[in-house]
Amino acid sequence: MSGPAATVEFQDVTKRYDPGTQGPGAVNDLSFAVPAGRICVLVGPSGCGKTTSLKMVNRLIEPTAGRILLDGVDVTSRELTELRRGIGYVIQQVGLFPHQTIGQNVAVVPRLLGWDAGRRRERADELLGLVGLEPARYRDRFPSQLSGGERQRVGVARALAADPPLMLMDEPFGAVDPIVRERLQNEFLRLQEHLAKTILFVTHDIDEAIKMGDLVAVMQAGGRLAQFGPPDDLLAHPASDFVARFVGSDRGLKRLSLSRIRDVQLQAVPTARPGDPAAPVRQAVQADPFPYLLLVDEANHPLGWLDEADLPADGPLDAEEAIAMSPLLNPETTLKDALAMMVEADVQAGVVVDGTGSLLGIVTFESIGQAQRAPAA
Amino acid sequence: MDWGWILDHLDDLAFRTAQHLYLTAIALAIGLAISFALALLAVRRRSLYPPIAGLASIVFTIPSLALFAAFVSITGISVWTAEIPLILYTFVMYVRNIVAGFDSVPPEVREAADGMGYGRLARLWRIELPLAVPLIIAGIRVAAVSTIGLVTITGILGDRFGGLGFFIFEGIARGYFATEMLLGAVPSIVLALLVDRALVLLQRRLTPWAHPARPGSAPEPAAA
Repeated sequence: MSGPAATVEFQDVTKRYDPGTQGPGAVNDLSFAVPAGRICVLVGPSGCGKTTSLKMVNRLIEPTAGRILLDGVDVTSRELTELRRGIGYVIQQVGLFPHQTIGQNVAVVPRLLGWDAGRRRERADELLGLVGLEPARYRDRFPSQLSGGERQRVGVARALAADPPLMLMDEPFGAVDPIVRERLQNEFLRLQEHLAKTILFVTHDIDEAIKMGDLVAVMQAGGRLAQFGPPDDLLAHPASDFVARFVGSDRGLKRLSLSRIRDVQLQAVPTARPGDPAAPVRQAVQADPFPYLLLVDEANHPLGWLDEADLPADGPLDAEEAIAMSPLLNPETTLKDALAMMVEADVQAGVVVDGTGSLLGIVTFESIGQAQRAPAA
Repeated sequence: MDWGWILDHLDDLAFRTAQHLYLTAIALAIGLAISFALALLAVRRRSLYPPIAGLASIVFTIPSLALFAAFVSITGISVWTAEIPLILYTFVMYVRNIVAGFDSVPPEVREAADGMGYGRLARLWRIELPLAVPLIIAGIRVAAVSTIGLVTITGILGDRFGGLGFFIFEGIARGYFATEMLLGAVPSIVLALLVDRALVLLQRRLTPWAHPARPGSAPEPAAA
C-alpha cells in the first residue's frame, strides 16, 4: 500500500520566540532537503530546537523567517487544517483521545476529511492489522485498556490513516521501555520498506538516529545545524568536535552496525571434501596465508576446519578430525553482529554462506578492519 | 404522625414535588448555560478566571434568606425573585468544575488534535467537552443538591414557591404541625438523594471510557 511521498525542504528557517531581540533564536538559518520516501532524523541535545523545527512543518509553531517547502509549496501558503490533515503526526505521549475507541481514534483524520462510516471502519481495521493489532480484538477498546507499546502502535496507525505523503514523528518510541522500543523501531522500519513515506523523525538518542535515519540532521544548542548527511558519513567523518562528541567515542563501533558482510571483500579459503586425498590439499593450505582447511560437503555446505598441523601426511581426509565450526554469517549480517559472534566463538574467521547454506567465502578481523578503513561510499 | 392527614394530601405532595423539581431545573439549566459561557471565557483568557471565580464565591457567601428578601424589592413577587438568587448560587459550583474539566484535558490530547487538523470549534466540542464531562457532571451534582435545599427556603416567599418547603412553612404556621413539616422535609431529602444518584448514572452512561470494564469482563488484554 505504498502511497504518495513528498519532498521537504527547509530554507533558512529561523524561529525567534522574542522577535524584539536580535539575539539567536530557538532555530537559526536551518537549511536542508529531504528527498521523497526517505527518513530524515533530527537529533541533538535537549534545547537544540529539533522539536521546534518539526512543529514548524505542520505549523503548530510558525517560523519567524525562512520557508519550509512541501513538494515545493510553502507550508504557510496552505490552509491550516487542510495542511495538517495531509501530514501524519506522531508524538511521544501519543495523545490518543481517551473518550473514543481505538477504531475511532485511528479513523480521526478520515472522519475530518468526511469519509463515510463504512470506509472509515474498513480503513481503521486495515491499519490496525498493519501495525500488528488484531482489529477484532482492539477496535472497540478504549485507550486506557492498552499497554504503552500498544498505544504507540495505535498512534502510528492513526498518523497513517489518510495515507499522508509526509509523517512527522516526535520521539515516537521515547516513552516505552527499551525492549518494546527496539521492537517498535524494527517493525516501523519494516513497514516503511513498503510505505516509503517521507518521514521527519525527532530523537535525542544518537543510536536511534543512526538506526532509523536514511539521513541524519545533527542539531546543536542554539538551533543550528551541525551536520547533515547519511549516518555513515556522520560516523566516519564528523564535521566538528561537537558532532564527534555527540556521536560518541565509540563511533567506530557504531559504524559496524551500519555495514554488512556484503560490504566486505570476502576471502577465498582452501576447501576439500571428506575422503579427498590429503597430499595435494596440504600443499594448497601451506601456500595460503590462512593455514586452515575448510571441509565442505557435496553441496558446498561448510562442515568444519582442519588445522594444517592435523592434516595427515597422506591418505584420505577424515571429517572426524575437523575442529569446531566458525559462526556462519550471511551477506545481511551486520559487521557488529559478525564481530560479536567471532569473538564469542573465539575464532579468527567467520564463514559466509548464502541463503541455501552454500559457502561464499570467509571474513577475518583483518578484512572487516579493511572494509571500515575504506572511505565511506 | 398523622398518616390519615398524609393520605389526604397525596395530591398536594405530587404537586409540590413537581414544583420543587421545576424550580430546581430552571435554576440548574440557566445557571449551567451562563456558567458555561463564563468558564469558556476563563479558559480562553486565563487572567479572567480569578475575578470570575472570586465574584462567584462572594455571591455564594450571601445568606440565602437575605438575598431572596433583597430581590423582592427588585423583582416583586415573581418567579425571578426565587430563580435569580438560585441561579447566582450555582455559579461558584459550576464555573470551578467546568474550568477544572477543561483543564483536565491532557495537553498531548490537545496537541494531537491540533496536529491532525481539528479546527478550534471542532476541538472544543468533539474532544475537550466530552473529556470535561465527568467534572462538569460532578459540578451539576453539587449544584443540584444545593439548589434542592435552597428551593425549600423559597417557600418563605409564599405559596407559589418552595416546592416541598411549602409544607414546612405551612406546618410551622399551623403551630408546628409535625406531620406536615415532615411531609416537606423527608421527601426533599429523598429528592436530593435520588437526583444525585440519577446524575451519577447519567455520567456513567455518557462516559463509558472513564469506567474501563473490570478485568474478566473485557476481552483478554494482549501481552504487550
